[in-house]
Amino acid sequence: MITELKEKRQMRFGRNSKKELKKLIAVNTKRKKFEFTLPFSEHLNLNGKESEVLIKEDEKHGTYLLWKNKKYPVEVIYKNQNRYEILLNGISYIYTVETPTSYKRMRFLASKSESKKNENLEAPMPGKIVEILTEEGRDVRAGEPLLILEAMKMQNEIQAPISGHIKKIYIKQGQSVLKDDLMVEIHVGK
Amino acid sequence: MDTNGKLFKKFLERENKISDQFSSENAKKQHAKGKLTARERIDLLFDKDTFEEIDAFVTPATITSKFGKITESYGDGVIVGHGKISGRLVFNYAQDFTVMGGSLGTVHAQKIAKIQKMALKMGAPIIGLIDSGGARIQEGIASLAGYATIFKNNINSSGVIPQISVIMGPAAGGAVYSPALTDFIFMTNKTSYMFVTGPSVVKEVLNEDVTDDELGGAMVHCKKSGVAQMMFEDEEQTLQGVRKLLTYMPSNNMENPPVILNPDEIPEFNEKVRDIVPDDPNKPYDVKEVINQIVDPNTFYETSENFAQNIVVGFARLNGNTIGIVANQPKVLAGTIDINSSIKGARFIRFCDAFNIPLLTLEDVPGFLPGVDQEHMGIIRNGAKMLYAYTEANVPKITVILRKSYGGAYIVMNSKNIGGDFNFAWPTAEIAVMGPDGAVAIIYKRDLAASDDPVTLKKELVKTYRDEIANPYIADEKGYIDEVIDPAITRKKLIVAFEALQNKHVATPAKKHGNIPL
Repeated sequence: MITELKEKRQMRFGRNSKKELKKLIAVNTKRKKFEFTLPFSEHLNLNGKESEVLIKEDEKHGTYLLWKNKKYPVEVIYKNQNRYEILLNGISYIYTVETPTSYKRMRFLASKSESKKNENLEAPMPGKIVEILTEEGRDVRAGEPLLILEAMKMQNEIQAPISGHIKKIYIKQGQSVLKDDLMVEIHVGK
Repeated sequence: MDTNGKLFKKFLERENKISDQFSSENAKKQHAKGKLTARERIDLLFDKDTFEEIDAFVTPATITSKFGKITESYGDGVIVGHGKISGRLVFNYAQDFTVMGGSLGTVHAQKIAKIQKMALKMGAPIIGLIDSGGARIQEGIASLAGYATIFKNNINSSGVIPQISVIMGPAAGGAVYSPALTDFIFMTNKTSYMFVTGPSVVKEVLNEDVTDDELGGAMVHCKKSGVAQMMFEDEEQTLQGVRKLLTYMPSNNMENPPVILNPDEIPEFNEKVRDIVPDDPNKPYDVKEVINQIVDPNTFYETSENFAQNIVVGFARLNGNTIGIVANQPKVLAGTIDINSSIKGARFIRFCDAFNIPLLTLEDVPGFLPGVDQEHMGIIRNGAKMLYAYTEANVPKITVILRKSYGGAYIVMNSKNIGGDFNFAWPTAEIAVMGPDGAVAIIYKRDLAASDDPVTLKKELVKTYRDEIANPYIADEKGYIDEVIDPAITRKKLIVAFEALQNKHVATPAKKHGNIPL
């Protein structure tokens, strides 16, 4: 009886919190996942092989990865909530860090077919196009700078509102635009 | 043991019944929508095994009418209680969508009201996890009265204890006003939405087709309407975000925010800061880089990140002490102040003032956003909100002018004469009534028109203007700036200055309350 009572008390709250977080999952933009056990160890499982990867820092090289006695410079360019943009060997990678529960939800929401809309990017204010940083047919991700618009004596970076690919660019470098002029058409999916 | 058995028989029966109610079947229904159950959310929000529930066994009010029926259940669709977050007492209510859609009936409302009053009495923050279909139709006016009591408690607690609402499912109709009255609203992307009238009514009245997410999803409220401050991709992260936010604020308005020292030593001399602001005054940069270089590493917590991005607001720690940061963002709309950014700034400043959080202003503002749109929408009365909030705030206030500081916007951004305690400027600062181009065009209008080579003349005049007027040294000599500082030592200057202001006390004339231009 007493033990039953004790169990009941514990059943109500704290049942889930007894489960310790055992691993974290890093997911990249192409939905490839990498698992890390907690607490972190320097031994990582890469393509089925155990290898030792060290993260080191010194004044000469900045932060770098040490793998098989070779140094690979690494830098966290951008970090927001659980999103990381990492520069490794001069190539940038984007990862979100998920727990097993949040990873499940992520997959669940992705499996629900979403009807995403294409986006027509319009000029937020009147100004002059200083530079176009992208080209037709290229894939972009949300937040990537597309062009520079000079307005109010200031250069403004115009970013992609959604991830997708550039269907058409309606403007040219040096051209003046009015507010709400159509600049770039972005399509979701291929 | 037998006697015990008799006495505890009923007790165990109830316990069994309630665990049936929270059975895995109900949990599955929530999981199928990509949501967690109320209990799982509480487990994630609070420190391990610290949550204590009260009123778990209340039953719903009985209804006399023949319209609809009420499901027999314990708790009436809401879990209330208290627990610890980072070791500090926090009160909480969590609506349970699996019991009658989390609808708010009389008893449900009484439970929430009870915990709200308790939180106020104990001077501890309250967090509402909202996942509710709205007022319980079967109970009629009584559930509306319940909402009214909750709103009243929200307002009574406003400015006394931090109130945070976390939207984790639907919040429709009157239910949206309780979150709207609280200090911060968190939303989970794709599974939460808020609106006063739902898509079906919109369809009926205006014949417009719109989905829940398009009408009042997290994206809409964090980007367009500014109703919600924080958006996360997942419920777990949302609750982690709430936990983190709480570490920056005191439990009530009589306390100071907790001090969390950074274990690593941070250099006082940081040359990187010098290189962030570009030489060309028309080139944008990201003010968040400046913030991150000045404050303790990884402590900047931005709120309202996606709304009115031309102003950046958020909390950070400086030598372990919480500060609130308001910064113009030259990267967006050239950092001008418009209606939305003024409202966003004003609300943040008032929160900091209410909860004893010192304010740091990083200024690079070319002016108010010009245009018919802004004027007609009332930039005058809306811009006045931030001016009012800054002037009214009597927490320590420090301004650093990074670059542009022109006209009315100079005054608004915590200038010396509206009550800035310390006003510093970097050598790159330009402080004047207006920018060089505008000033030259007005003062030398005739000379320029008469000149054979207006372009060269204008260039010369702009240079003279910069040398003579638009620099920080004039303001320094006249005492409107306390000191022109090397950007590399900004962090050290700020730490010392905030320390000097620690015991700031301002006597304000007795009044019921001011009349902020709402």
